[in-house]
Amino acid sequence: MLALVVRTLRYRTGGFVATLVSVFVGTAVMLACGGLMETGIRTVIPPQRLAAAPIVVAGNQSYDLPTVGHGEDAYHETATLSERVRLDERLAGTISAVPGVAHVVPDVSFHAEVLGDSGGSSVPGTQAGHSWVSAELAPYRLTEGVAPIREGEVVLDSATAGRIGVHAGGKADLAVRGGVRSYQVTGIADAGRRMAADAVFFSPAEAAGLRSAAGQVDAFGVQLAPGADVNAVSAQIGAAVRDQRAVTLTGEARGSAEFAKAAGDGELLIILAAVFGGLAAQVAMFVVASTLTLSVQQRRREVAMLRAIGATPRQLSRMITGEAMIIGALGTALAIFPGVLLGDWLFGRLTGFGVIQPVLKFEQGFYPVVAAAIVGLSSAWGAAFVAARYAGRTRPVEAMRENAIPTHWLTPARLWLGVSSLIGAVALAYLTITVVDGPLAASTAGPAVTLVATAVALFAPGLTKLLVAVLRRPVRAFGGLPGYLASLNARARWMPMAGAVTPIMLATGLAIFMLYFQTTEVAVAEKQYTDSLLADAVVTSATGEVSPDLVAKVQQTPGVAGATAFVTSKGYNEKPSDATQDEDGVDLTGVTADGVARAWGGIVESGKLDALHGTTIALPSDLAQRLGVGVGAKIAMRLGDGSQVTLDVVATLRNTAASSGALMPADTLAPHTAAGAADRILVTAQPGTAEGDLLAALRSRVGDVDGVQVAGREALTKAFLAEVQANAWVNYLIVGLLLVYAAISMVNTLVMATADRRREFGLQRLIGSTRGQVMRMMAVEAGIVAAIGVFLGTLVAASMLVPFSAAVSDSLFPSGPLWIYLVILGLAVVLTVVATCAPTWFSLRTRPSPSTLAPE
Amino acid sequence: MYQQGDTVEVVRLLSVRKAYGKNGAQVLALDNVTAGFAAGTFTAVMGPSGSGKSTLLHCAAGLDKPTSGSVVLGGTDLSVMREVELTRLRRDRIGFVFQAFNLLPALDVEQNVTLPLRLAGRRPDPALVRRVIEQVGLGKRRRHRPAELSGGQQQRVAIARALVTHPEVIFADEPTGALDTRSAQEVLNLLREATSVSRQTIVMVTHDPVAASYADRVLFLADGRVVDELRQPNPEEVARRMTGLVARTEQRPQEGPWLSELTR
Repeated sequence: MLALVVRTLRYRTGGFVATLVSVFVGTAVMLACGGLMETGIRTVIPPQRLAAAPIVVAGNQSYDLPTVGHGEDAYHETATLSERVRLDERLAGTISAVPGVAHVVPDVSFHAEVLGDSGGSSVPGTQAGHSWVSAELAPYRLTEGVAPIREGEVVLDSATAGRIGVHAGGKADLAVRGGVRSYQVTGIADAGRRMAADAVFFSPAEAAGLRSAAGQVDAFGVQLAPGADVNAVSAQIGAAVRDQRAVTLTGEARGSAEFAKAAGDGELLIILAAVFGGLAAQVAMFVVASTLTLSVQQRRREVAMLRAIGATPRQLSRMITGEAMIIGALGTALAIFPGVLLGDWLFGRLTGFGVIQPVLKFEQGFYPVVAAAIVGLSSAWGAAFVAARYAGRTRPVEAMRENAIPTHWLTPARLWLGVSSLIGAVALAYLTITVVDGPLAASTAGPAVTLVATAVALFAPGLTKLLVAVLRRPVRAFGGLPGYLASLNARARWMPMAGAVTPIMLATGLAIFMLYFQTTEVAVAEKQYTDSLLADAVVTSATGEVSPDLVAKVQQTPGVAGATAFVTSKGYNEKPSDATQDEDGVDLTGVTADGVARAWGGIVESGKLDALHGTTIALPSDLAQRLGVGVGAKIAMRLGDGSQVTLDVVATLRNTAASSGALMPADTLAPHTAAGAADRILVTAQPGTAEGDLLAALRSRVGDVDGVQVAGREALTKAFLAEVQANAWVNYLIVGLLLVYAAISMVNTLVMATADRRREFGLQRLIGSTRGQVMRMMAVEAGIVAAIGVFLGTLVAASMLVPFSAAVSDSLFPSGPLWIYLVILGLAVVLTVVATCAPTWFSLRTRPSPSTLAPE
Repeated sequence: MYQQGDTVEVVRLLSVRKAYGKNGAQVLALDNVTAGFAAGTFTAVMGPSGSGKSTLLHCAAGLDKPTSGSVVLGGTDLSVMREVELTRLRRDRIGFVFQAFNLLPALDVEQNVTLPLRLAGRRPDPALVRRVIEQVGLGKRRRHRPAELSGGQQQRVAIARALVTHPEVIFADEPTGALDTRSAQEVLNLLREATSVSRQTIVMVTHDPVAASYADRVLFLADGRVVDELRQPNPEEVARRMTGLVARTEQRPQEGPWLSELTR
């Protein structure tokens, strides 16, 4: 039996190419996604600037939420604190006392921006300014000049120095806490490898003054005495600092001390990999099943003969499964190497586009390969199952007749599968509408559309028959003789035509859906953003902090209704506790009491906003209800850096789309953030003030302060959109893959269907048609197929797009440019016509003779 | 086995009816056909188009289930068998030669010939296989693929495949329909030899009077019924009776599937 299978494959290589390519592409993509998922699961963040210290002691960012429930049902969630938990600098003494420790290096980071530097690489949550003392932790070594000793001296890293064109001995303007100053560049340092974040080194004395929290450091780098055992010493250090909210890190774990915010990227990667890989697997199975079934259909006479001479359906099934598995194994084996490369490339694109931070280490081990291979082979097996059932059902007698075209297409299996697909699609559509949220929305919407497409594909023969009937009149009226013949063909051959329509429907439907889903999401996000934008203008400073004086100045500018400092963070309710609180905690916004009282009065439900001074808070009313507190109560909260505060509730706020979080005084909140200060001022204009006038007034008022920038709503929205577009890239990736598959399926189906009709063309030519007439007829047929396919594809896309738009925006139509739709239509038509006419042209090349009519 | 006179009948059809289509537009391909095929005989089944001769073959071979009536092959009643059993029957006890699409294009001659044996899970005896292939005159082309053979040679391979399992009966559906006269002659001689020398029972459907003359007996079908029989046929007599049949059917083009009782 195996010999028979192998010989069949060698003989009919052309027919199996499409199946092989489908398995190949699918396995490669799944392998790449497996690598991404493994990377996300492991979330290995190698240390960069702290690499040379074998042990790093940093703050413990992990926080246990208050326990919910009692006794056996009690549980608590664990969250990651959003701001940097800092350590007391006197801890250095405790750590040095541990045997085996050679010396301890404190590490601080603070805001330091090099003015005139156009494109530095930076990782969110990291700051560039450091004390020269910590340079040895990377290690950064001087390539030029000397270390900074006095105030006013800095050492730049080679990347920054290269960008602004400065050498040792030159000068650079830096914006640091307190203002913009000119610094003497005493040296250039290099770490010997590419670093994700820039570094600017100050003298130790100046660094102590510039850091945001006095007496505190971000981490300690521990150098060991020769011969000391890393694990033993680290265990001892851990014991020594046990009560200090500190963690002792070794090996690859040290990276989390440097890049605290990158840990969340791991989760995002897992989701992306699951969505993308899952979709690829789904589509691969679909396409492989259809190419394999088509190949079996082409061989129906052989199959009938085999059935006649005594091959049982099971034997046929084994033969077909054997074919599929050999192709599957071959495709999978070929895909391993490209799949690994693809994973690497994808990871590079994701970090390059800013979807994830470039600090994760890409891991692709053994498991993704095994998993992808299993899925690849399973899809081949599943496809064989479908094709073999078809072959087994072949009745020997029917299939041996000429032009055997089955007319009974609606088997119970088809009906059942089609209806259940539709039900599944409706369920997913409901989920999408109720849980629409950023990149996650694609994970339910994509499969929903695939299910609709599956249902339409299963009912395709009936739909094709119907649409062919509808198109008959127009085609005859406008098509001339080719149209007449084409419409007759279409009417007689509606079953094979349905097979050609399906991949076109799939391709256009998915493409239209994904692209317009994306554009609609962006448009809705933009509208939400602009609606929620409380400010008409924003004032920022390159020094990374806005002083109360600056806020006062802005407040007094003519045309300004209210100006408030603005800083965001997260906190957790401890007493009283909120049972529904999850690891995301409460959004906290630090504001200036005066400014918000004047400008945002409308959001107050009870209490007064101008009482927001000192340890006070204004809660959203639903949270206040859950906590059971009102104006005048005291609550205890844990802030983002781990410190606990007791706050007086001075107001409750209405729930609006704009503000779902709590308000606190900026001066109280800011010191507990990583940056240590508010970095912007939101300005609300007085009613009737034009934006242009407001911006001009602000610029003239505060523009002379070093490093201050004023931006209007448009600039803000543009910045927001740039961020949203980065996520769009993921959607385009998905669309690209789906289109590759659909194109494979489409071309394969059309080529094989046309090649099957060689004898028909020969006959036509013998009775007097010219080559041109046959070509024109086929072109019209291709046009009919394309028209039906595109129409059904649009229906499929609309079935999900319309409810989605209705749910997220107020119109039934998705927003997006029309040209996208027209381009998709055009491409579909062109591809169909080419894939139909090219094989026709090839089969018309030989002169027709009666022998071409002989059975093959 | 049923006995008719003192000869054993390998295949017997009893009041077989086969109808296609739904009520109203029903086409009656076989109308109460009763026929028997004796062991060691070569029977030709002839008739104009639409007479039901191919349908008769399909029902006799277990490829199609009659609407009513029964088919008995070598003592086994086909009408009570399930599809899998029928498949095994076809594999072990029946040989087939079709007009076209007889061979798997991917396999060579020898592999095509041994195909039924492999499907049965039996190991083919190389000496036997070689002998059968030489019997049909293709000993030198054992390793060639169908694409490298002429139409006549392909049909001979099909006959070799049919012979190799020593079936109880070989059914041939227009085996010479697509061949030129010389190839047709070779094929018919082979079939004749199989019956004369090896006592192989053969039932052949054909529309060619010359082909029918190779048989021991010709059955004439018209409108789904057996209407005539001729023993020791010669081409001229066969042609004369066929012409008579066609003329009679043409006289009544619109009328249903009945013919005046033509018994001889």
